[in-house]
This record gives sequence, structure tokens and C-alpha cells, in this order.
Amino acid sequence: MAVLTRGADALPGSALDFRTGDWRDQRPIHRHRPAPCHHACPAGEDPQAYIARLDEGNPRAAWEALIAANPLPAITGRVCHHPCEDDCNRGQFDQAIAIHEIERFLGDAAIREDWPYPVPELADDAPEVAVVGAGPAGLSAAYHLRRLGHRVALYDRYGEAGGMLALAIPGYRLPRAVREAEIDRLLATGIDFHRHQVLGRDVYLDDLGRRHGAVFLAPGCHRPREWSVDGARPDDARDGLGLLKEWLNVGVTPAPGKRVVVQGGGNTGVDIARVLRFSGAGEVHLVTASALPDDESAPPEDRMSAIPREVAQARDEGVIIHPHHTLTRLILREGRVVGVEIAALRKLDGDDGHRRRVAFEGTETVIAADEVVPAIGEIVDPLGIEALIGRERYLRADAWGRLAEALGVFAGGDALGQAGTVTAAIGDGHRAAEAIARHIRHEPESVLGGGEPVAFDDLNRHYFDRAPRQKATVLPVAERDGTTEIERGLGHERVAAEARRCFSCGDCLACDNCWTLCPDLAVLKTRAATADGGSYVFDYDYCKGCGLCAEECPSGYIAMIEEPTAT
Amino acid sequence: MKTATEGSQAIAQAVTMCRPQVVAAYPITPQTHIVERIAKLVADGQAACEMVSVESEFSAASVVLGAAAAGSRAYTATASQGVLLMSEVLYNIAGLRLPLVLTCANRAVGAPINIWNDHQDSMAVRDAGWVQIYCTDNQDAVDTTIQAFRVAERLELPVMVCVDGFILTHLFEAIDLPTQAEVDGFLPPYRFSRALDPASPRTLGTLVTPAYFAETRHALDAAHGRALGEIAGAADAWSAISGRESAGPLRVVGDEQARIGVLTLGSVFGTLLEARDEMPELGPLRLMALRVFRPFPVEALKAACAGLSDLVVLERALSPGGGAIVGTEVRAALSEMATPPRVHAFAAGLGGRDIPLSLLPRLVAAAGAETPTRFAIIDVDLDKLAPEDR
Amino acid sequence: MPTATPTATELRRHQPRFVGLDSGHRACQGCGEALAARLVTEAIGPDAIIANATGCLEVFTTPWPNSAWRLPWIHSVFENVAAVAAGVEAALKVQGRATKVVAFAGDGGTFDIGFQALSGMIERGHDVLYVCFDNEAYMNTGIQRSSSTPHAASTTTSPVGRMREGKRHLKKDVLAIVAAHHLPYAATATVAYPRDLEAKVRRAVTTEGPTFLQVHSPCPLGWGHDGALTIAVARLAVETGFFPVIEIERGRVTAVLPIREKKPVVDYFRLQTRFRHLLGDDPQAVEERAHLQALADHNIETYGLMAAHSSPRDTVGLATVHRGGTGGGIA
Repeated sequence: MAVLTRGADALPGSALDFRTGDWRDQRPIHRHRPAPCHHACPAGEDPQAYIARLDEGNPRAAWEALIAANPLPAITGRVCHHPCEDDCNRGQFDQAIAIHEIERFLGDAAIREDWPYPVPELADDAPEVAVVGAGPAGLSAAYHLRRLGHRVALYDRYGEAGGMLALAIPGYRLPRAVREAEIDRLLATGIDFHRHQVLGRDVYLDDLGRRHGAVFLAPGCHRPREWSVDGARPDDARDGLGLLKEWLNVGVTPAPGKRVVVQGGGNTGVDIARVLRFSGAGEVHLVTASALPDDESAPPEDRMSAIPREVAQARDEGVIIHPHHTLTRLILREGRVVGVEIAALRKLDGDDGHRRRVAFEGTETVIAADEVVPAIGEIVDPLGIEALIGRERYLRADAWGRLAEALGVFAGGDALGQAGTVTAAIGDGHRAAEAIARHIRHEPESVLGGGEPVAFDDLNRHYFDRAPRQKATVLPVAERDGTTEIERGLGHERVAAEARRCFSCGDCLACDNCWTLCPDLAVLKTRAATADGGSYVFDYDYCKGCGLCAEECPSGYIAMIEEPTAT
Repeated sequence: MKTATEGSQAIAQAVTMCRPQVVAAYPITPQTHIVERIAKLVADGQAACEMVSVESEFSAASVVLGAAAAGSRAYTATASQGVLLMSEVLYNIAGLRLPLVLTCANRAVGAPINIWNDHQDSMAVRDAGWVQIYCTDNQDAVDTTIQAFRVAERLELPVMVCVDGFILTHLFEAIDLPTQAEVDGFLPPYRFSRALDPASPRTLGTLVTPAYFAETRHALDAAHGRALGEIAGAADAWSAISGRESAGPLRVVGDEQARIGVLTLGSVFGTLLEARDEMPELGPLRLMALRVFRPFPVEALKAACAGLSDLVVLERALSPGGGAIVGTEVRAALSEMATPPRVHAFAAGLGGRDIPLSLLPRLVAAAGAETPTRFAIIDVDLDKLAPEDR
Repeated sequence: MPTATPTATELRRHQPRFVGLDSGHRACQGCGEALAARLVTEAIGPDAIIANATGCLEVFTTPWPNSAWRLPWIHSVFENVAAVAAGVEAALKVQGRATKVVAFAGDGGTFDIGFQALSGMIERGHDVLYVCFDNEAYMNTGIQRSSSTPHAASTTTSPVGRMREGKRHLKKDVLAIVAAHHLPYAATATVAYPRDLEAKVRRAVTTEGPTFLQVHSPCPLGWGHDGALTIAVARLAVETGFFPVIEIERGRVTAVLPIREKKPVVDYFRLQTRFRHLLGDDPQAVEERAHLQALADHNIETYGLMAAHSSPRDTVGLATVHRGGTGGGIA
């Protein structure tokens, strides 16, 4: 029983004896949810996480967070179509974060500073896995397998690793030096690279299966699709990808003044068109059934799959693009192309739910041309995997990359015929590596996680000020020669400015709002990492559950949940 | 050394000799000369204190409340309407157990407005929890004021020193003012045990629920129980320094053999003494001045009334509808005696009406009445009232 | 590498801020006044003495034997806090101590019953910081109107009924009256902008002489909104011009908090049931909305509240957060 003081004076802070936490019917918790950039990334990168490390002033930690998913950021920062930026919540506020610039910056920094990939020492009895195909999917799988403690034997038909990266992406987008440096550093983690090995000729699938704990197939798509226009084909037709590979390899140059029509709105088509311009072609037309990337009236799936800034640069360089058009007729003379007829086209929903392409009579135009180059995609070369692929164009695998038909055989990358991007391939390799690791250890399957990404309305935007997106300088058109890198990247300061714009969706910014605004001092600050990795601890002895902290958290990291009943 | 001094001036001198650090005051007749004198002493550098000329009486009380809580000896003076206006704060000061000294220059309370002396103002706040002492003359006022600081600071109770307005405050008398050294020897520097101090933060003025409130009231009452002892101690200590006799809670003058007593408060005691000396034909009388009203000195009163058959109580206030204030308390106290005297309760001199020497025979005559007067305003002239108001 | 999370009890001892008002007080959930008082004492620091008028803040912080205060603190009565503070200040002056004296009161104890004492304190030039926590009604006694209640707001003594709809009279411009004393510094502030509030407290504390702060403090119970929306409501009061945030020195407005993006007053009303009756289509509601919008616009014009351009000191810039927060070492 308390004894009265003279005058009923009270002692300082004696209110701490009264635990107002009893009042609650709801309590705040820290709840990490994926940022939309993380949710959108096919490789599973968490840009929010690595941008946070960068913003904290630790680029190395940022790179290490990034490569936990994608080991090739210097490459993807240059060539990925960045769906993360399309979904970036900042885009609804002012402009999306230039995530690809940050990714590229970190990749370049790692190469320059020679930060080692953090992989463990290999145990003597580490299981060995075979990876066929040293493109992005194969490299990713090899890296993740190595990271998970496996020996990796990597096979590729070519003399250098990289797959399409080396074969089909021009230097003005992805400089050879950068690509080689990053891939070499990755291989240097202790991956056994066997070059000039063709599956079905130098190395065999069943043999690999016997000798290794598992096999990951990422052969890519190198077989051109059958192409004709209304049944006709020029005698000297060359496919787009083949052209690109040749150009990269030996630098083929069509005769100056040649007029070329390229069909296909993907990156390959755009690259071919640009390469032809750099080689001196007089007029280059690109005909695509899709809309331009910045055409807001078209749904996203109807727009060109090429990266928007690449398309913009192509147009600056003089490529003439015909969106929503198709080739209806080739005008041949003695087996050679002298012109093409194109017509307007739309992809319309049919009664059966599928989309069909409808060309509109009466919209035909003739373009004079000396060459037509199809860039309409490739399919898998069945050599060495005949038993798996049968008569299909692509391999079929589940979400983890497992092939139904063959235990211990996994696949990923372009060979699955799905997204067909570098980043998706990297994601395939990562997931397959995890699945392979479980397969070898005889562990049960895991569930693909994620959760609802943080929506724009989950953020409290009153706490952010508008700031424009940093734009990298690009080489002026007159200086572009087809090999020198066109985009110059962002320097250290500008990358830092960009990182500062990140909302940190679904993760703590350590902005001190909750700590400052709790009327009951029930949010306490801590430097020691908490169980949820944050910077603040809720004092549930005093928290009244008012919800102010959740409301004023800028990044949507605090959620109010019903107070658990006492057990 | 005795000098002819106006009462207010002497009180002001006494106050400043007690070295208050903060004096707050709002002027009201008839207290004004006190605070004006203090202001002059401060302006002349003879008193080192902050003089805060507040904008109302309740701010005056509030300022000295704050000052005392912050560890400074503080003082204010007021009267009449000012007492009532600051009454909420007076209760607050006592409840907070803050030591303070306040001079009440007793004056009637309106309506009707009246600037002359009676005791309605201090009587109106008799339940606020302050010690209340009624001075019989200006020497008493000076001596009591000095002792009041010591009593207040030892008990952590505020003390109200009541001095009849105009009659004492504006009277020139021969007053023996002590020296600064004498006061310094008597009154140590103020050290408040619960002072507001960042080095030791305390919370003063909390909310107390029914579970503990009665105890706080008991504690205040119990402090008053200890007050008589402190007052006596202070008086003895001062007596040793001043050489003057210790006054006590009650001043009693007169015959051991007397059967009739007259009790009053304040300066009218002097009038009664003078009247008695001039009218020996009234017979033996015991005249008393009740100095300490709060706490009410029951035992001293009972002892002083030993052997009396009748006690006439003369006061300068009333409780409308209830009758005598002092008289009722006296009656209640004396009822504890085995053979209490009959108590006759009268009020006179309300609103400054002169109390002539001839009142004493009327009071003595009233003591002989068959039925003791429960209460009457003895000097009322009903002819001055319309019939329906009598 | 995460280590074991430190307990709240341990963490409490090492927080990089001065705690003048601690946990365990009995304010309602989301109380704007509790937040404001916490922020103000944080900014004042440990060398201070607080005098506190009767009101919500006093009652919910000091039910004996519990006190949430960690500063020396005294409560007297409802109307005298400025005078009590003046008395403390006078005492400290004579004692030669530099401890700052601060008075806390609600709008009741400042605009109405305590107005006289406030005026006297300022007029006499006492070195006291007076902070009025303005929640626009007598909240402690059950949401009765004060002279600070905005026009048309519903309270228990200015309720919405058939004959009358909310408070008849306008909100008293107490800052103008205080400013007319020509004191060195007076300002309005709000819990929506803690940085601004803290800066103003620091400014006032280091100014010699009487200073005055009127801090807009939403009351979830009295204003009729969720406790989680206290900051959102306070922010809208500023962004609509309804509560101008200004600074006055010696009678002249010397600074304002510029509004970068103005909001209509209905946005503010929608969040609070005390203005609910103004949202309808009846002529009375339509007229009152227009009247209140005109009052807000008048504030904007009078004080020049619209931002000419973006600034780190406007209603967006002042709230902008940064990773790593406000700095200071952490436990």
C-alpha cells in the first residue's frame, strides 16, 4: 500500500509503474513485405534491399545483397528490360527509380574493386552438378550451386561463356570488356568451365546424369524459326540472330546504301536494325506487330518487348519503326528482294480466348528494300536432348525448373520458351540451383514465397519530396559507331542521389518517424540489430495501440494486427 | 528602540527584515501602505527582493505560491475583496503545504462595498487551512509577522497575520522595531524540503483519488494540531530576543475572581481594556483577546474561562443565517468543560462602525440576561431599516 | 549478424533523447497533446521547471502516486499558471539560477480563464516560456467549447441541434493579442511538424523575456477521429490555412510555414465528426463551408502562407524524412 508524501507529491517517472499496454486491442508489428521492384524482378533481386545498403553508404554490402539473387549485375544493369522500374512505386509519385543504373554501377564497382563473390570453401565430398550452357541461365545456376556448396562442371559449345550475351548483344549495349570481366570473376569462384563441348556430340546427357548428382540444361534457342511471308522467301535470306552473331563475330557490313527491312519488335530486331545503321545501311525499317514502348494507349503486353530506351536510341539513330504492322508480301525479282508490302495489323481477342493477328485490307504500303531480315525468335536445337524435347519447340519445366520426364534433370532460360529475357534466365538458374540442392539432399520441395507487394497507398507519401530521376548521359548520335558503349552510366554522386529517392517500400528506413511521433514513448531506438532486422523496438508494456506509428510510417513497414489473446 | 511609526510602515519594515526574496502584491485599501513601503525599500536598495506588481490578487497569491515552491521566502498582503478573489489559491497553498506569510488588513466584504474594518474577509477563508492570528496592536503585528515566517517554514503551513484595517494599519504608534541582526538571529534562511529543482525533480500538485484524499485532509488538520506548539515555541524564542512577553494564543487580562468574561479579537481588545480602566464600577471582569483563531486553542480557552459564569464574545463578522462565527466555536469548545460558562455572542463594529467605550457596559449588562443571546449585532439600529427588512 | 534483441527496459535507459514526459501516462490513444508535451519537453531539456494548469495534460500525467514527469513540476489551479510561473521565475532570479521556467496550459487555461494571468506575466516581462496546447475545447471536463473552438465546430456546449449548428463565434486570435504585448517571440506550431516545433521551442527557451507558443494538438476523442490520424488531421489544418503557422517578434510577423500544396477545408472536415454536420447539402452546411473556406483563405492572404517555390522549410520540405533519421547515437 502506498504511503502518502507531504502534499501528495509524486516521484519522477513513477508513472512507469502503470503499464498502459493493457489498453490495447490492436498492436503494431514490423512487417516486411516485398517491394514491387523485388516482386517484379524475374531474377528475384531485391532492389529495395540493396538500394538501402547503398543509401547507407555501403556499396559493397549493396552489391553483396544484389548478388544473393543475380550474380551478373554489370551485365543486367545494361541489358535488362527492368520491369522493376515499371512497378516502382516512385513512378506514381514523380518518376521511377533508375534501378538499372544503380545495378550497373554496383556491378562495375565490384569489377573495378575486385570484390570477391562470397562463396564457401568446397568440402572434399561436395556433390557435383553438371550445367549445360554457359549463357545467363547456366552461369546463374552454376554460381548459385557453387554458393550452396556444390562442385560445378559447366559445359558450353562455344569458346567463351556468355551465351547470347556474347553472341548477340552488341558492344554499344554491353561492352565486351565488362561482360568478360564479370563472367571471368564469376567462373573464378571455382567453376569448372569446359568449352567447345557440344551436347550430343562431345558430351552426352545420360553420361552427365550418371556422373553428377543432377544436370541443369540451359541450351538456349539457337535454331531459327521457319520464316516466310505469304509462302515466299528470298533465296539469300539470313535470319536476324544469325546476322547479329556474325556481325559481332566478324563485323559483317552490308553494302552501303542498302535498304533493309527488319521484322520483329524484340531486342534482337532492334539491335539488328541499329547494327545495320552503324554499318552504313541507307534506310532501315523495322516492322513490328506491337505498339511502341511508350504508347500509353496500348496495353503493356501489346507493346514492343525491346527495352524502351533502346528503341528511343534506335529512332534517334534513324531507324524507322512501323508499329502495328506486318509484312504481307515480299516483292521478289529473280529470287531477291526488291521491296516489301506491309499492312496495318492488330492482335485481337478471338472467341476462343486466344489472340489472333488481323491485317487490315486497304492499308497496304510498299517499301523499297534490298533485304528483309526476320527477327521473330528462335527455338531449341534438339541435338543431344532429343529424348526430352521430342517434336516440341521448347523444353517444359515446372516453376523450379524440374523436367517431368527426367528425374534429376532441370532446365531453364530461353530453352523454356517463356519470357526469353536475360533476367528471367538468371531467375530460372537460381531457382533450379535451389531445387537441385534440395534434390541432392533428398529434401522436400519448398513453396515459392513472396507475399503481396507493397502498394502505393500503403506508403505515407507526405514524408517524401519530389525529385527528378537522374538521367545518364548518352553518346551523341554522331559519335555512335556500333561498338563504343552508348550509355555512360551514373557516377557515384548521381547514383547516391537516385538511391536517396527510394521509398524503401515494405522495409524500415530508420527515418525516426515512429520514434518521434509515439505519444507514449512506446517506440524505442536501438543500434543492435533486432530480430526483424529493424532499428526500433515496440515497448508493448506501454503501447496503447493507437496506430499513429503505422499511419505515419513512410514505407509501410508497420502493420496493426489484432492484439493476441493471452495464452 | 521605540519609534512613532504608522502600523503599515512598521509591518513593511518587519517583513523586509525577514529577507523575503519575492514579494507580490495587488493594491487594495487598506493594505496599500504596506506594499508601497516595501516597494520604496526595494527601490532604495534596502530590501533585496523581487517586487512583483501583479495584475490581481489571485495572481499575487499565485506568484508567491510559485516562489515558495521554488525555494524562495515569499510574502504578500491583501484585504477584503482581494482575500475572496485569491481564496481558491489560498486553499491550494495550504493543500500543497507551502510555507508563506500573508498580512490580511482586515476589511469588510461587499456587497455593499465598504472599505473599513471588520473581520469578514479573514473569517471567510478560515477553512482554507491557513494558520490565522489576530493582532491586538501594531507591536503585536510586528512581532507576530516575524514569528510567522518561522512557524510557517517549520510546519510547512501558510500563516495569515490579521491586522485591523485603518484602525491598526493607519495608526501611528510607538513601536519597538527590532534590528536586522536580531531578526537574522531568529530566522534562519529558508530551506524548502520539497523545492522545485531539476537536480531532484518532484511532481507537486497531483490528482488524489478517494482512496487517499481523506488522508491528505487529516494530515493538514494534524499539522494544525502541531501548530500551537510551534507558535508557542516561536513566541518564546522571540521573547528571549525582544525582551517582550510572549503573547500566547490568548491574551488574558483581569481578575482571577471575575465571573464575567469578555472575549474579542484584534484591536478592539485595546478599547475594552481602556473602557474597563475607566469604568471600575463594572466590577471584576476578565478580558480576553483571542489571538490564534486557527488552530482554535480549545485548551487555552477552557483554562482561561475557568470559574466564569458568563462569557460575552464580541466579534466583527457573522455568518448570515448561522449567526456567530467565533461565538459558535467558543460555545462548542467550552461545552467540553464540566461547568461551562453561558456564552453570549455579539457582533459589533461591522464595516468599520466605531466601537465606543460605552459598549463595554452594554456587554456586561447583556451577560446578566435570563437567556443568553445566541447571536445579535449589538450595535444595529433597526430604525435605519424599512420594516420588512428588520 | 543479429544478436539477441535488447529488452525494452534496457533500451529505455539509453535513448538518445531527453525524456521530460515518460510512458505510463493516461492520455487517450493517439492524444495530440501528450505528443506535443513530449516533444516540447524533449526540446527544452533537463534544466527547467514546469508549472502546469489544470486540464487534460495535468490530469493524465499526475494521478498520485504516478507521475509521468521527469522535470520538476507544479500544478496549482486552472487560471493561474502564468502567475505561478512568474513566481518561480522571480524566485530563481533572486537565487541567481539560470533554470528555465516553463508554463503549460490548454486553450481553456490560456484563452479564457487564465487569460488575465497570462497578460500580466507577459506585461511584466518575466523570463518564462508559456506553451498553450491548443486542442480547441475544454477537453478534460468533457469537450465543452472554449474561445479557441473554431466557428461551427460541434462541442457539448455548442452542439448541433435544430436551432443552432455548432459554435456560433469565431476562434479567438490569441496570438494577435499576445503579440500586442510586444513580447520578444511568439509563434504557433503543430504536432504535424515536430522539427518546426522543436526549433521554435529552442528559439523560445534561449530568448530572454516572455515567450509564447501555441501548439495545435488534435484530440481524437473531442474532434472525433481515429487516434491513428492525429498527425494527418494536424497536417491538414496547416495545409488548408485553417491553422496558420507563424512567428511574431515584437508585434510583427517575421516568418511563416509556407503551404506548398493548398488543400480545401472540406478535406480537413471530412476526417472529424465535430465538423460532420458541415458536409451535407443543406443551405446551412453549404454556407458554413463557404464561410470557413473564406476564413482559411483569409488566413492565407493575411499571413502570406502560399509558398512561392519549393523549399526545405515548407509543408513538404519540413516533413521530408531521410534514411537514418534525425541523427544522434543509438543504444
